[in-house]
Amino acid sequence: MSELRIPGATPVAGPTAMQVARDREDVVIGDELVRHKLSSRVIHWTVAVFFFVALLSGMPIWSPVFGWMAFLFGGLSVCRWLHPWSGVAFAVASLVMFVLWVGQMRFDATDRKFNVMEYLRFSGKEDPEVGKYNAGQKFFFWMALFTMLALLLTGIVLWWPSYFSQTLRSISILLHDLCYIGFFAAIVGHIYLGTAAEPGTFRSMTRGTVTRPWARLHHPRWYRDVTGDRR
Amino acid sequence: MGAIQGLEIRRSSASLRGSSTTLRKAPTVAKYIDTSICIGCKACEVACQEWNDLPVAKTEQVGTYQTMPTMQANYWNLIQFREVQTPQSGLEWLLRKDQCMHCDDPGCLAACPAPGAIVQYVNGIVDVDPEKCIGCKLCETGCPFDVPRYSAANDKMAKCTLCVDRVHVGLEPACIKACPTGCLQFGDKTALVEMANHRIAQLKENGFAQAMLYDPPGVGGTGVITVLKHGDHPEWYGLPKDPSVPTTVGIWKRVLHPIGFIAMAAAVFGAIGHFMAFGPKKPKDTARESGDEV
Repeated sequence: MSELRIPGATPVAGPTAMQVARDREDVVIGDELVRHKLSSRVIHWTVAVFFFVALLSGMPIWSPVFGWMAFLFGGLSVCRWLHPWSGVAFAVASLVMFVLWVGQMRFDATDRKFNVMEYLRFSGKEDPEVGKYNAGQKFFFWMALFTMLALLLTGIVLWWPSYFSQTLRSISILLHDLCYIGFFAAIVGHIYLGTAAEPGTFRSMTRGTVTRPWARLHHPRWYRDVTGDRR
Repeated sequence: MGAIQGLEIRRSSASLRGSSTTLRKAPTVAKYIDTSICIGCKACEVACQEWNDLPVAKTEQVGTYQTMPTMQANYWNLIQFREVQTPQSGLEWLLRKDQCMHCDDPGCLAACPAPGAIVQYVNGIVDVDPEKCIGCKLCETGCPFDVPRYSAANDKMAKCTLCVDRVHVGLEPACIKACPTGCLQFGDKTALVEMANHRIAQLKENGFAQAMLYDPPGVGGTGVITVLKHGDHPEWYGLPKDPSVPTTVGIWKRVLHPIGFIAMAAAVFGAIGHFMAFGPKKPKDTARESGDEV
């Protein structure tokens, strides 16, 4: 793996950052910090794949405007069983992710000062106390968890309507829809912030590592904790 | 039954075209049921099974003469035998033929997500096209009369077709053909409503002051009109009092759909707009680093 070189990185003896990232995180290797170990990345992409299968097979059921999406999977009758089952897989993967990540997602005193409008201005005036995850990321985690639970419960009612009352079915239709609309908007923001908006972020979910300047900019307290660098 | 040759479709589920407008005038057909002279012989049940080639359904003893507790995916026509304690005349035995009501404003069709799986022909008959049905059961939630039945055997929904295959060649539905008392009639709805009013006048003269025609306006009227001796108590016959397409189905299709499209578009355009206004957020001290390798 030694031929895998990050431009600008100084060569180091011993394992490369990517190798370390297989089972450890929150460590610094040369010019790189390991942000997500392999298990974290695998569960993230497992959740993501099932999410998108459920999303794309659910949208043609939601409205005929998206009827063409059904052909990605072989038609609406395939979506009819693929949507609920991929939804269940998404829920199971999300619960595993929840167990693995919840320890890092508790809100703390720093998160109270987080102002999302100020943050989105990209002014560079970051709170130096932001740790490994900022309040927005933690909020997304909890939002995803609770929305997933709501989608799962209402989805079960819609899947097996004869076992539930008419009132419960009606509530479920509306709630399933609202959660979908909310989650769609949130996932657009999630992908945007993780790719185009904040360069250097996406590789933390692929290679598992980020650069020192990236960590110092976005997560200053985490950078200090991991590197011991007090600047 | 699918699209019957020669019968135009007035409305189709999950269609982006809305109601189709046709220049051809077709009368709305209806089935007339006079519950006051039904003798509970179940000839209509047998005729329905026979004509529609439905597999034999297992009967179930429910403590009355009723064949089974409710309709099934392979049993679309069920006489309900109800014993009701009425204030006027003590215990009464109320019989009613239960089946799809063929609503003018069908809740099942409104709730159905599969294009063309539920259609309403120009003559008002509401039908399922099994070829297009995906078996999602949303029609169960849309129906105020609890009619559509899901069949696990073929993963489809099934219900009374009002014998559309007979009607389109000028025959009356099988149940009507079999009825020995004349309590079932079939024809142009306007004419049958007239007949029903005549019968209701007779019933009123004979002491049933509350006799009424059940043709609920909440679903735009039904293609199955029922004369009830106790019209003020349709629930005695197992009929909902003021049925309507569930409000949620309307909210879902007419309110949440537009909100959803706007929200989804806003998220996408919001992200693009944000990128153009505030650009990517990059570390300042990365001059020595190249391109994307931040």
